Amino acid sequence: MATASAIPIQRNTLLSQVRGNLGPLLVFVALVALPFVIGALDGHTVSEVLVNGSGYSMFIQGLMVEVFILAVYAISYDLVLGITGLLSFGHAMFFAVGAYLTGVLLKTFKMPFVPAGWHLSVTYAGLALVVLSSLLGALARWLPPWRATVDRLSTPLVVIGLAAVIWGLFRSTVGMVIIAGVIQALLFGIVLPRVKGITFALVTLGIASVFAIMLGTRELAGYTGADVGLQGIPRPDFLNPATQRLRFYFLGLAFAVAVYLIYKRFVNSPTGRVCVAIRENENRALMLGYNTFLFKLAALTLASVTAALAGCMHAVFKPLVSPEIAGMGHTVDALLIILIGGMGTLSGAMIGAALYRLLDYYLFRWFGASAGFMLGAIYVSFVLFVPYGIVGTWRLRNLQWKQGWRKRLQALRGGGG
Amino acid sequence: MENLLEIQDIHTYIGQFHILQGVTVEVPRGSIVALLGRNGAGKTTTLKSVLGLRPPSQGKIIFDGAEIQGRRTFHIAGLGIGFVPENRAIFRALSVGENLQIAERTKGDLNRKSEMIFSLFPDLKRLIQLPGTHLSGGQQQMLAVARALVADNRLLLIDEPSEGLAPVIIEQMMEAIHKLSAETTVLLVEQNFLVASQLAERYVIIEEGRSVRSGKMADLVNDAATIQRYLGAA
Repeated sequence: MATASAIPIQRNTLLSQVRGNLGPLLVFVALVALPFVIGALDGHTVSEVLVNGSGYSMFIQGLMVEVFILAVYAISYDLVLGITGLLSFGHAMFFAVGAYLTGVLLKTFKMPFVPAGWHLSVTYAGLALVVLSSLLGALARWLPPWRATVDRLSTPLVVIGLAAVIWGLFRSTVGMVIIAGVIQALLFGIVLPRVKGITFALVTLGIASVFAIMLGTRELAGYTGADVGLQGIPRPDFLNPATQRLRFYFLGLAFAVAVYLIYKRFVNSPTGRVCVAIRENENRALMLGYNTFLFKLAALTLASVTAALAGCMHAVFKPLVSPEIAGMGHTVDALLIILIGGMGTLSGAMIGAALYRLLDYYLFRWFGASAGFMLGAIYVSFVLFVPYGIVGTWRLRNLQWKQGWRKRLQALRGGGG
Repeated sequence: MENLLEIQDIHTYIGQFHILQGVTVEVPRGSIVALLGRNGAGKTTTLKSVLGLRPPSQGKIIFDGAEIQGRRTFHIAGLGIGFVPENRAIFRALSVGENLQIAERTKGDLNRKSEMIFSLFPDLKRLIQLPGTHLSGGQQQMLAVARALVADNRLLLIDEPSEGLAPVIIEQMMEAIHKLSAETTVLLVEQNFLVASQLAERYVIIEEGRSVRSGKMADLVNDAATIQRYLGAA
């Protein structure tokens, strides 16, 4: 019975994948159809929506783009707080660095948004080199005489390819945002092994506050616009939210979906499991021989880069980058979103972001000034009555429901036999 | 017999309190050694000092010929020292299987070891998919021991394995520890003298932060005066 005693490994067939992720898949399909459905309700054909001819559809697309950006920002906070258990009060800085860097590079330094011209060619060549050498490495397994040569060549080729990609990234706004994301995570990494719990929260709050104050100084007003905010950012033509709204919508959707999938993969990977273990009991993870600092830094870096990219998108989409996005309030936004959606669930951050933004918009539209009070009441009742958030509570109920049925079935079987 | 672990006159402070004031323990390779003593004598602190969770300020800890005092916890654990803490500290958000997977150091070796683990703890096989929150105290203790086994540890530090468990489970646990001593060396902290005396070959008595007596368990069992004096129970 050697095989029976082995740890059962779940088989991931395509069908089981689809069945297991039916909910997210349906949401995705609905979101793809949304601009056209809204357009149709407003009396416009598909082709009219495609050339951004339907005003109301464009408006809803804009609202949803904000939801996507917020969702990506919130899910990155969920990775830090909900999965790894690091209470950071400086998360808004991750987002704001992306947004301001994008604005300043596009406006003041006139840097292209994505690599352009021959920089683009170099980036693509580097990417191709990495892919090719990996492919070659895989193929060489079946060609023994070539194997040694390929093995010797593949590492330098990958390094050259990666160097070319990074070089290309340095010459574009998006690339600089990614690099800044890594750097700010490393900045938090300096304090990471030294302080824990609430002290980490306060230190991160301190770092983020310094950044927020810096944004507001008159000395830097030429770049950041100080307390007025950063205005008049030149947008890349292919992503102009005014003329290319539908493209922006689908890019935002693709971005949110990609981030969700990458995060899900990360959390289910061995590295992600160690992050969960650190949240549960860091000493215990240490005792198992894991250098927990590296795992926390990995989660923080991934979260920081994603949040910075969300900020980058925010800067391109919004007419104005306000200094408010660097403040404590914006971190609290992320906290509220994952509390509503369910901490540590990932999908909860997505659902929470949609609820948060849409509630905010519609309540203010319908009730005006009293909406703030209603929002507050809704959040408090969420914390009181849905303590695990929407997704967390749903999962709990679902489990209890399943267990109840299993017991009933067992009782039936026991009675019959 | 060669010693796998030697604790030489260590002193450990917790805050400003001088908890260990000279503890010396020798653990021969392949044996089970029990740390005995009253509550608060410093038994658990000794284990934590070995692991670097409470690094000693003085003295040496030698594991397999190398000094390990002052090294960081994950490094010490990586040398092959497993700790089964008193509070078990399993990861509640992870399933039994995931708890085992995460403890595994040489990856992909779980299936080979699972047979041994399931023969020690048949219960765990049934519970493999269950989240840690749903385990009973005894099951948690089994998982905690199993997790230390998965990692190919050369030395196991086990803190109070019998605490808070039903007698039937204690027996099962004792049997498991006895079986696994064939493969690893064990340093055991145990309040229950009956359990300790049946498991261990050697003992060290700690009193007020000092190791005061040590020797063969067989001799201690017949030494009613010593038992009465240091352990307060027969």
